[in-house]
Amino acid sequence: MGMDRSFLIASSLFALVGAAWGMWAVHQGKRSPWTVAWILGAFLCQIGFLSVRGQSRAACPLHDAGEILTFLAWSLTLFYLLVGPAYRISLLGVFTAPVVVTFQGLALLPGVLTQPPQPIAGGNAWHETHSAMSVLAYGALALAAVAGVMFLVLDRQLKEHHLKSGLFRNLPPVRELLTSLLRLLWLGGILLTVGIIAGFLMPHTASAWAHLIAAVAVWIAYVVLLTVKQVRGLTGRRLSLAAVLLFALSLAVFAFV
Amino acid sequence: MELFCLGLNHRTAPVEVREKFAVGNTQLGQTAHEMVRLAEASEAVVISTCNRTEFYFAAENAEIAFQLIESRLSEKTQLDPEINSHFYRKSKFDAARHLCNVVCGLDSMMLGETEIFGQVKQAYRSALDAGATGIVLNKLFQRVFGIGKKVRTETSIQEGSTSVGNVAVDLAEKIFGHLKNSEVMILGAGEMSRITAQSLVSRGAKSIFVANRSFDRAQELATEMGGSAVRFDDWQNVLKRVDVVISSTGAPHAIVNRADVELARRARKYRPLFFIDIAVPRDIDPEVGEIEEVYLYDIDTLEQLAEEARERRHLQIEECQRIIDLELVKTHLPGI
Repeated sequence: MGMDRSFLIASSLFALVGAAWGMWAVHQGKRSPWTVAWILGAFLCQIGFLSVRGQSRAACPLHDAGEILTFLAWSLTLFYLLVGPAYRISLLGVFTAPVVVTFQGLALLPGVLTQPPQPIAGGNAWHETHSAMSVLAYGALALAAVAGVMFLVLDRQLKEHHLKSGLFRNLPPVRELLTSLLRLLWLGGILLTVGIIAGFLMPHTASAWAHLIAAVAVWIAYVVLLTVKQVRGLTGRRLSLAAVLLFALSLAVFAFV
Repeated sequence: MELFCLGLNHRTAPVEVREKFAVGNTQLGQTAHEMVRLAEASEAVVISTCNRTEFYFAAENAEIAFQLIESRLSEKTQLDPEINSHFYRKSKFDAARHLCNVVCGLDSMMLGETEIFGQVKQAYRSALDAGATGIVLNKLFQRVFGIGKKVRTETSIQEGSTSVGNVAVDLAEKIFGHLKNSEVMILGAGEMSRITAQSLVSRGAKSIFVANRSFDRAQELATEMGGSAVRFDDWQNVLKRVDVVISSTGAPHAIVNRADVELARRARKYRPLFFIDIAVPRDIDPEVGEIEEVYLYDIDTLEQLAEEARERRHLQIEECQRIIDLELVKTHLPGI
């Protein structure tokens, strides 16, 4: 087994243990201070994977579905580590870890990661910027979707007066969740904008145009969402639902385009 | 040397008796010193709160010391000797166990309350500073504080809010986090809304608006809480800016209807809004709770949540006692 695959398996195991440990703590009605540590372990292994693949490719490792999924998981983890502990929303890690495991689990399926990775000849800087910024943006938008799911769970519990569970006690306040969600949407939107501008500047093939049009459509959807939120206002439920649906939709679009 | 305790509390004595034996915080050390002399004991600590006054002693002979202290307390307070029937007497292991129960809030009127821990610490510190303690009570109190921390960490004896006001405040914090950016409106200047609003202010609520049919009463309450009075006809306008509404008017029908809230939604940019309805009959139409960003809690729901927390605490008593007994047996304290 190659070094890259070993790093990816180790990272997935760290995230899996973090998720299981965190869920067990939540079930007991306690906070799990170790969630951040497990996810940090997963993050370091992701860096190991991306370094090995980057060296082999002699380019940013975004050239097969497995690399894209892992880069996305890395981006999601990075934003969790930046946002979660700062806002004391350690539970965000418990919700983030299963998404990381899912992405990396898919990357580990036979045939998803190209083995061995071939060096990329004649790389283009705009192309690399487009890929890296877009995947980073989707990391931020994925975390916004995770925060959205957390809000929807908390909102339902508060509405229905089901306040006894350990999960309820550990969820951060509604206002903090919505603030984090909105900041992540803005961050994702800005990164996506940079990615799309770079996309227009890179050399195009016929399939790249279809991809770029899909990216612009997703970008427009996020811009509309943020504009409506900023100008008219939106309930937490609608903002969260939109963040979750738009992210799921954009993933589906890129799976087929 | 034997450890013993003499005390009265809310279960054994009415307030008119308890107040005769109450000792001010600044007098705790001096009183402990005086008790050593009165009981001809070696060491003493005096604990005095609104619900209890307890004397912990270490003496050569507990029986003699009990008699001395009881007769001298009766003389000192000029009360009928029958007053002694209000006192409980505990010695050795029972006294240590009782102190643990007190420190853990198991003997409090509100089961599991945390304030008592600090009050006992202060009482011990005062006696220590006054030179009224020695090896028996020093070891006992230090050990008991450790046991108290262990019980609070390892059980749920202090979890959940057990009063309607605290449940409402906890919910407000679950919705808004720190309340320092939250504004509160009170509809109806009743006692319950005043208490709940004060709890919110004590946790940092930014400003309070009071709307009442009698504007004078609204002004009175607003002044008392450092807020602003609002004419009752004007509460819909204030709704556009506040985060929490506490309602307890005496109106025979709902005064906040879905249409009132719908009108304010756009101006509020659909921010979360928390309604606490503690009026009977209810002031807020239940349909208001169907609005997406509104969280509506009435008095029954709040009472039920408080009751559930009380029940959860009661279920923890046995586990707390188990930890206390285990820890006391494990450590060989002098005097027990």
